[in-house]
Amino acid sequence: MSSIKSVVISCAGIGSRLGLATTKALINIHGKTLIRWQLELLKDIEDIRIVVGFQANEVIKEVLQYRDDVVFVYNHNYFETKTGASFYLGAKDGNEYAFEYDGDLLIHPEDLKMLLTLEGEWIAYADKISDDAVYVKTNENGEVLAFSREQGDYEWTGPCCIKKEKIKYNSGNVYNQLEPYLPMKGIKIRACDIDTYDDYLRALEWVKYNYL
Amino acid sequence: MVKFIFDLDGTITKFETLPIIAKYFSIHEEIEKLTEKTVQGNIPFIESFIYRVMLLGKYPIDEIAQLLAQVALHEKLYAFIQDHAKDCVIATGNLFCWIEKLLTKFPCEAYFSEAEIENNQVKKIHSILRKENLVEKYKREGYHVVFIGDGNNDMEAMRKADVSIATGLVHYPASSVLSVADYAVFSEEALCRLLNQLL
Repeated sequence: MSSIKSVVISCAGIGSRLGLATTKALINIHGKTLIRWQLELLKDIEDIRIVVGFQANEVIKEVLQYRDDVVFVYNHNYFETKTGASFYLGAKDGNEYAFEYDGDLLIHPEDLKMLLTLEGEWIAYADKISDDAVYVKTNENGEVLAFSREQGDYEWTGPCCIKKEKIKYNSGNVYNQLEPYLPMKGIKIRACDIDTYDDYLRALEWVKYNYL
Repeated sequence: MVKFIFDLDGTITKFETLPIIAKYFSIHEEIEKLTEKTVQGNIPFIESFIYRVMLLGKYPIDEIAQLLAQVALHEKLYAFIQDHAKDCVIATGNLFCWIEKLLTKFPCEAYFSEAEIENNQVKKIHSILRKENLVEKYKREGYHVVFIGDGNNDMEAMRKADVSIATGLVHYPASSVLSVADYAVFSEEALCRLLNQLL
């Protein structure tokens, strides 16, 4: 991947819907933390920026066991804000393009590899599997036309890639930041995100099938 | 216009400097404990600094200056400062008389504490650098100020800076520093990449 991109992983949240009393980056998936699964697939990426908030020290120490060249970005207002603020903070001083990667997302290794080589701006989505999803509406070319809480063709999982200058501070979600720029190029991937405990159980199976 | 203000001890240097002096004069145990407590914020910086000068001030200044001139530097960071000297400033609470020789290696501006000297010894502290005042000075001059530091005495400066980077190159940054930092980095690679992005 070219050095004009920064990968921004948002790990600031408290993971309240999951109910495991830990930020999602630190949940155990078959003996490894979620952030470790993510980092292993990003080992060739130079500029990784991890946004931390809740349990920041624990996340930092976990990451440092694996690699020490990550830039940690603080979202001190993690309780009052969502992923949109973390993405803004993570991207604002980074490289020209920001590759957004939610800290609760697992992407099929082949699909992640493909995404990392893509040029320009795009949004990735997956088949609907989560309990509490945001959906995307697409056209016949797969372009993303809209996001919706109610219905859509696919589940919005991220990641996405966008020029950093377009990312404005907001206290909402990443998809709220993308809405002004729709329609955008869309790419269907195999991915699994973890919001609830049932999602977590599904993720354990999903990883067994797709990673191991 | 960006201005990078760097803490010296443990940020640019690979080691904290006062323990080096203390070890050389065989009073390291007492000083190391004090330095550790100070870095972590358990003793107010000013109080700790005055106490350290009281302990070390009687030793020959020329020997201390010579000793500190040899302290190892983080090489990539040192190269960045050399390449961007006009954009960089060093801010250290250390006494000028002790770090005068070390500072000759740096082509950038530097700010420090100062003392009255007599017979090659520190007689009296004249001024103690308040790093936050330096941040305010450069902000008033219109600079976008980036502060890079690791210890409790950097906290106020980091709170006031436009961008603050906590460094964990020698020890884990003080918790007070992390409570106000925009960024934390734990390797020279990450720090220099970030500095170049902020240019």
